[in-house]
Amino acid sequence: MRETAMQGQKSSSWLNIGKDFNTMTWVLMPVAIAINMAVGQIVATLRLPVYLDSIGTVLVGVICGPWAGALTGALANTILGLTINPDFLPWWPVAAIIGLVSGICANYGLFKSWWKVVVSGFIIALAAAMSSVPISLLVYGGITTGGTGLITAFLVESGKGMVQAVFASSFLVEPVDKITTAMLAFAIIQGLSKRFIARFPRAENVETDEKVSQTQLIIAVVVVILLILFAIFLLQRLTGG
Amino acid sequence: MHERLSFFVRRDSPIHSLNPMTKVVLAFSLVLIAFSSPWYWTPLTIFLLVIVPLTLIGKVAREYWNFFFKVILPTVLVLFIMQALFLPGESKIIFDIFGLEITELSARLAFRNATRIAVMVSSFTILLLTTHPSELMSDLTRRGLPGQFAYVIISSLQIIPQMQAKAQTIISAQRSRGLDTQSSFLRRAGSLIPLVGPLVFGSLVEVEERAIAIEARGFTSPKTKTSLHEIPDTSTDKRIRWLLAAFVLISLALRLWPS
Repeated sequence: MRETAMQGQKSSSWLNIGKDFNTMTWVLMPVAIAINMAVGQIVATLRLPVYLDSIGTVLVGVICGPWAGALTGALANTILGLTINPDFLPWWPVAAIIGLVSGICANYGLFKSWWKVVVSGFIIALAAAMSSVPISLLVYGGITTGGTGLITAFLVESGKGMVQAVFASSFLVEPVDKITTAMLAFAIIQGLSKRFIARFPRAENVETDEKVSQTQLIIAVVVVILLILFAIFLLQRLTGG
Repeated sequence: MHERLSFFVRRDSPIHSLNPMTKVVLAFSLVLIAFSSPWYWTPLTIFLLVIVPLTLIGKVAREYWNFFFKVILPTVLVLFIMQALFLPGESKIIFDIFGLEITELSARLAFRNATRIAVMVSSFTILLLTTHPSELMSDLTRRGLPGQFAYVIISSLQIIPQMQAKAQTIISAQRSRGLDTQSSFLRRAGSLIPLVGPLVFGSLVEVEERAIAIEARGFTSPKTKTSLHEIPDTSTDKRIRWLLAAFVLISLALRLWPS
C-alpha cells in the first residue's frame, strides 16, 4: 500500500496511468463487475424503467481513475456478454467510455457534491449515447432488442431517418439512467469510510470539504428535472429540423 | 461455496485438445467473416457448415443446442421480427399485418443481421464450452497478457455467482421484513436503496482483505511466474490459425474491393 503515501502529490493529469493501477484497483475491478450485474438484477426484479448496470464501472472510474474505469467497463461487458446475456457483448466500447468519462469528470472535481454529480451523470449519458449510435447501426442495423430499439422503431415509423432515430432514442434513454447511476455511485462512496477510500489511487477525487447536506440533494433533483427538460428540447431540435 | 460461472464441459474431443489461442482465433475469425461478408447468406452458411459440425466434433452438441434454444434463438427471433418490421426499405411488400409492412429488402437485411448475431454468440459459446477458463487465461498470460487481466477475468467468474446468490438472499431477507418490492412505482424505486446498499457495502468490505491476500502471494512481483500446468501448442494449431487468418483476409478483401 505504498501508493497511498504518494497521495500528497496530486496529479491532475488524467493521462497518468501507472499510478492508477495498484493492487486495490485490480481487486476492486472484479467486484465492480459483479456489482454491475447484481444491481442490474435487482433493478430487473423491481421492474424499474432503468438499467443501472454500470454503477460498478462508474465507481471504479471515480476512485481509481479514468483508465481503470474504462478497463472495468470493457471487461464487464465482455465477461457478462460471454456468460450471462449475449446482448451485452457488442456494447463493450460504450461501457468503456462510461468508465473513462466518469473518471475524467471525477478528476475535474465533478464528484464532490450532489449537483455536480448530476452534471457528471449528464455528461456520462451524452458520451454513452454518442458512442452507442455507431454500434447500434453497425451491429444491429439500427434496431436493437429491448426498449431503446422500440423507441427507434417508433421514430422510424413516424418518418424519421434511421440515423436520426437512433440518435434521438439513445439521447432519450441514457440521461435518466446515467444520472441515477452517478447519484447511486456517489451515495455508495459517501457511505464508505474515509480510511477505506484512501487506499484507492484517486481518493482525492471524492474528498468533500463539508458534509454533504439534504438541501444539496433537493437542489440536485431540481437540476435533474431541468436537465431532462433541456434534453427533450434538444431532442426536438434534433429530430424536428 | 457456489460454483464458478463457466460453460465448460470436460470431454475428450479434438476441439478440446486444441490450444486455447487457436479456439479464440477461430471464434473471432467466424465473427469477422460473418460481419464483413457482403452476401446475405454467409452467416447462415457459416452456421450450418462450420458451427453445427464444430459442436458435433467437440461433442458438446447437447449443451450447445440447450443454450441455443434457451438464449440464442429467442434473442435472434426478436431481433429478426423487429428489424423486418421497422427497417426502412423501398421494395416489394411481401407481408402486411395491421399496417406494418415487411418489404423484401427489410426482410433480407433483418435476416442477415439476425444470423450475424447468431453466429457471433454461437462461436463464443463453442469456445467457452470447449475451453476451461483457467486454461485459456494461463495460455494468454504465457503469450503476454498481463497477469492482472487474467486475475480480473477469473475472479469475476467466481464472484458473479456469489454476488447473484447474495442479491437473492438480500431480496428475500428484506421482503420478509416487509419491504415492498411489488406495488406502486415510487414504492419500488424506494426499495432500491435497502436492497443495493447491503449488497454493495458487503462486497466492498472484502476488497481490502483480498488485496492483502494476493499481495502476500506476489501479485505485483515483476518476476516472470512459472506455471505448473503446461498447455501444448502444436504445429497443427499454428497451421489452423494461419488458415483462419487467410480466410478473414479474403473475406475483408471481397468486402473492400467488390468486382
